[in-house]
Parts: sequence; structure tokens; C-alpha cells
Amino acid sequence: MQLDFVNRELTIKLVYYGPALSGKTTNLQALHRVAAPGSSGRLMTLETKDDRTLFFDLLPLSFRAQSGLAVRLKVFTVPGQVIHASTRRLVLQGADGVAFIADSRVSETQANTDSFMDLKDNLREHGLSLRQMPLVIQFNKRDLPNIRSDEEIAKLGAQGREPVYLAIAMRGAGVVESFIGLLHLTWSALDAEHDLGRKFGFDSTEFMNGVAQKLGEKRTTPELLAACVGGALDVLRPEAAP
Amino acid sequence: MTISAPRDRVEELTVGGGARLEELVDRESLAQLAASFADLSGVGVRVFDAEGKLLADAALAVELMSYLMTLRQAKSAVESTVSSVKNLDPGPVGQASMDGVSGGRYRVVALEHDGRRVGRLVFGPYFPPSLRDIPSTLIELEPNLDLDRARGLLTLAPRVTDDAMDRMAKHARATLDVVMFSGLRALLTGSMHLAAVRESYRELQSKQEKLQVAYDRLKELDRLKSNFLATVSHELRTPLTSIIGYSEMLLEGIAGEIVGEQREFVTTIREKGEQLLGLIKGLLDLSKLESGTMSLRKATMEVAPLVRDVAQTMAPHAKKKGISLHVALEPALPALWADAERLRQVLLNLVENAIKFTPASGSVTISARAAAMAAAGGGGEDGGLVLLGAQRAAVQFRVADTGIGIPESERQRVFDAFYQVDSSSTREQGGTGLGLSIVKRLVEGHEGTVHVEANAPQGTVFVVTIPLKRATLRP
Repeated sequence: MQLDFVNRELTIKLVYYGPALSGKTTNLQALHRVAAPGSSGRLMTLETKDDRTLFFDLLPLSFRAQSGLAVRLKVFTVPGQVIHASTRRLVLQGADGVAFIADSRVSETQANTDSFMDLKDNLREHGLSLRQMPLVIQFNKRDLPNIRSDEEIAKLGAQGREPVYLAIAMRGAGVVESFIGLLHLTWSALDAEHDLGRKFGFDSTEFMNGVAQKLGEKRTTPELLAACVGGALDVLRPEAAP
Repeated sequence: MTISAPRDRVEELTVGGGARLEELVDRESLAQLAASFADLSGVGVRVFDAEGKLLADAALAVELMSYLMTLRQAKSAVESTVSSVKNLDPGPVGQASMDGVSGGRYRVVALEHDGRRVGRLVFGPYFPPSLRDIPSTLIELEPNLDLDRARGLLTLAPRVTDDAMDRMAKHARATLDVVMFSGLRALLTGSMHLAAVRESYRELQSKQEKLQVAYDRLKELDRLKSNFLATVSHELRTPLTSIIGYSEMLLEGIAGEIVGEQREFVTTIREKGEQLLGLIKGLLDLSKLESGTMSLRKATMEVAPLVRDVAQTMAPHAKKKGISLHVALEPALPALWADAERLRQVLLNLVENAIKFTPASGSVTISARAAAMAAAGGGGEDGGLVLLGAQRAAVQFRVADTGIGIPESERQRVFDAFYQVDSSSTREQGGTGLGLSIVKRLVEGHEGTVHVEANAPQGTVFVVTIPLKRATLRP
């Protein structure tokens, strides 16, 4: 997070992590499609080969809260292929929140696990723990055959601490929900740590509703947040802190 | 200019303060773009960065303005307009206009990138078509104004409606936006390349350090092992010398006549003692070779007498086992620069092995011939022989047997210390597994090579190649 007191500007870094070809870039493309023109900059894709991300994608989103605080969201993807380990580590540096995009297909279960362990290792390299990192998990490609069942994910999700979302990013389904879930967790964590709400007279609810609106949503934030399967959305909120 | 680390640079460009206009746009190209715009629209344009520094100037000569600059009062008024326009803040809407004393209008447009102001575009002066005459303010201000001339020049001045100016400004802004986006992408790609390479390098280096530590530790352990071997061998040899010495004295009858079974027993003690001494010497040799403390006494030596001597020494042994021992020597073999005693040891060892592993009625052949071997740097098989150096003349010794043979997969490993192809054969054939590793080290001490080949139809050939003293071109 970068805070510019003079210009009343806050920049938050969100990273979409996950195994190769799980749909991280597709998530960003879907967000870019629905975002209001004034809120979203160009989606930048740095270096690709055969439609695979080599460095990262970057979607800049910006919102202005009623209090006058400008909130800039920088949404990154990492390259999923195993060989780009050092690039992933670089992109992950300074992340305020992470969305883990998993491939729902049964055949990709191991790849999901490996990538998640890689995320854990890379966070540790940056001196962070998975436990501290605001995290949502998205099971993408729900429209494909041979996927892990809704029941299985719901059952596991209910036991875990991260909110889990189901998505078909190609059609934009579940993308905004996952994003709002991630933003909510990230904002709560930053607010708890830096007391942003008080410093800037910032109304979180109003801000989140504004973001959802700018992403073309008619649903309210609580409705969007409720789309998750299991996990705890208030796990990092100050009132929930021990 | 400070150069930050590439990973910080990426961070700064994406999450941090972002890039400056000057970094995103090539200045010379920006000047060309501005000139082309001015040419197309008939309106001059200037580009300033966020700090107000002029990056590109494509002002067009407007004759009316040039004329006003020749007049005292008008000149200072025009100059004051220009300087106010330069500092005009486009405000939250991102654009503002200002009229000059001549009636000419300036348009200031904010350049934004990634939601931040990175500079300004200043268009003008242009004259709205609604301006029909020289403004009265100018007439009042400048007493020396030639009104007819000024009116004439006004008709030549660029006429642009505010609407058209809006569209032109929007277009210029959009064009620059594309340029800045592309510039940022290129800048990020470059920084990212550099950061990724650095990161990979850092990773490799830390792995390398760990490997080095492990390697140093292993080397130290190996050295300790050699030391231990040398110490123990030495300590074992001292009492053994007494055992052999005293049993010899007993056999010679120095302590009185010994008879029958007594002689037989003492002979066995002496023989086994000798055997043990041989083994300990081998260990000592190996540890000396490993620690590099064995010195070779090299001198010019003839090959043929050496081979014959080895054959003679081993003949009784072969005969006892019913094996025929042959010697095949090429005539006029070149002399070697080698330690004759050690080379003898090498051949003896190989021949002894050959006899050991060859069944009765088999044969063992020792041969020597002139040969060539790759000089240091390879034999130029991949080309570049002329650069890599020539083949080196050598003498090749071959010890061929018709014995049990060595499987191809084992041929490299037979030279490892304590290694035996078939551990179960140790009991049957005896031996410690030290001989060949000593052979290999001795041969390498002569800059030579040793390897194993199969013997047709059955058996093994050990090939030892020892180079001559000087490298010479193959004839």
C-alpha cells in the first residue's frame, strides 16, 4: 500500500495468483470489460508468448470516495508457469491482497496445490505469512466437465478460513464477487492496521458500494459478499481481531 | 540522476509515483508530433511537463503577433499573456482558456496518465471566427498601432472555432495517451526483464553458495579419510615388518632347526604377512595419490624391456593356473618419459588381474604399440583441430584376457577405490578392490588414460595410453 497524504491518495496492490492457465488474465479482462470507463485504465499486458503471460498483466482501477480520498487499485496477475518463479516473486512483492484462481478440473488438483505452496513460499521470501495475507480463493471454469463438485468445494470451503468463490471467468460469472470479496478483506486489513477510516473520514460501506456500482453491479456489497462458499469474510476486521 | 534497483523501479512505475512524461515519451519524437499537429491544425502547440518544463515547442509564426512584438506597449502585453498562459492551471476539469490582448486565444489542456497529471498542452494563439475586428483594448493600449496594417494581418491569422479546438485538443490528448501507454509498457518490460534477471541471478547465487559449502565440507571429509588411511596404514606396517622379519629368521633356522609342520606353519605366517603388507602398501599408495604427495620419478625409459620384464615376473603365476601368457610388441617403440617403477606396477597389476579372472586354458596377452591421444583441449573431433592443438604421440599398452569379462555398465566404476564388479567374486578371486584405482591414479599421474574394452569373443582388454614427453603432430 502507498499512501500519499498530500494528494489524499491511496494505492492498493492486489495480485491474482494461481497455476498456469487457470484464468487469472481472463479474470482481469472480465473486470476490465465491466468497469466504468472513468474507473478503469487500459489493461496492460506485459510480454506474452502463445497467449501465456510472461511477466504480468496490470489493470489500474481508480475510485474516489465521498471523503475525497482517491483510491487507486492496481490489479496484477502473475505468470502461472512453473519456470517463471522469480517473476512471480517479484510481482507478489508488496501485495496487499491475493486472489488465488484455481482450476476446478479434477485433473488440475495437484497443479492448484503446487501453486498454492509456491504462493506460500514466495510470501515467506518476502517475510510475510499466508495467515496475514488477505486471501480469497476462486474455483474457476465451473462450466467444464470433470470438475470438483459444488458439494465438495462447499464442504472444504466451510472448513477453511478463506472465502471461496465459484466462477466462469470467460463469461464474467463470479468475477466481480471474487474481486469485491478480495477488496473487502484487503480494505478491512489495511483499515485495521492503519486506521484509514478515521484518518480520512472514510466510509467503507459507501466506498464498497461505489466500487460495486462502477463495476456494473446492481447488487449491494453484502449481497455480493454472500456469494462466497465458506470462509470468514470478517476474519481480518478489527472487531474480529483477538 | 539516480538509478534505483530494477525491482523497486517496477514497483515505482506501477504502484508508486508512476512515470514522468519525459520518461514515457521520446523528446525528439514529441517535437515532431507537435510540429505535425501544428502543421495540420494551423495552431501552434507547446508541451510542458508536470513541473512546467518545456518539452516540445511547435509555435507557428502569426504575422499579427510578430507585428505587435515590434511595438513597445503591445509587446509587453503579449509577453505577459504568454507567461500567464504558461502557468495557467487547467483546473479540475482539465482544461482552461485565456484571451490575449490581440484577441488571440490560448487553450491549456491537462495531460493525464494513470489518473495523474503528468503535463500540459498549450494551444494557440488561435482566433475565433467571431472576432471581427482588432479588440478596442489593444487600440487603447498601443498608441503607435497601425490599425489598417493590424486589420490586414488579422485576416491572415488562423481562425478556429472553440468547438473545433475542443476536438483537436481531445485528439492530441488521445494520441499522447497512446504514446504514453506504449512508453510505459516498454519501460515496464525493460525494468521487469532486468529485475527478473537479477532475481534469477540472486537465486542462483544463493544456491551456488550452499553447494560450495557442501562441496567444501565433502572435500574436507575426503581429506580426513585419506589422512586416516595413511596413518592407519603406516601404523599397521610397522609391526607387520617385525612379523615378517621374525618368521623369515625362523625359516632360516637362526633360532634353531624347524621341521615338518613347523616349517609349513611359519611359511604360511610369512606368506600371509607379505600379502597383508602388499595390501597396506596399496592403501598407502592410494592415500599418497589422493593427497597428491606421491612423487613420480620420471625418466626416459624403453618400453619393450618393461613389458618383457612384467611378462617374465608373471609367467610362473600364469603357468600355475594353466594360462598362456603372450607378449606382442611393435618394433621401434618410442621411449617414454615416465616413472618406470610405477609403470611396472601398473602393468603388473593389470596382468595379475587378467590372470586372476581368466579360467584355466585361457590366455592373456600384453601388447604395446605406438599411438596418439587427444592433447589437452580435446582432439578437435568437433573441428578446430588447428586451434585446439594436435594429437599427442603416445604408447598404448593393452592387457587382453579371455576371462569372465566386465559388463559395459561397470566399466567406468571398476576404477573406483574398493569397488568390485561382483562382490561375491571377492571371496572366490580375492583382492581388495584397490588395485585398479591405484592404476588409474598412476596413469593419470603420467597424463595418460586408462579404459576398459570388451575382448572378442570373450574377456576384457585394459587399455593404458601414456603420452610421450612433447606434443608433436601426428604424422
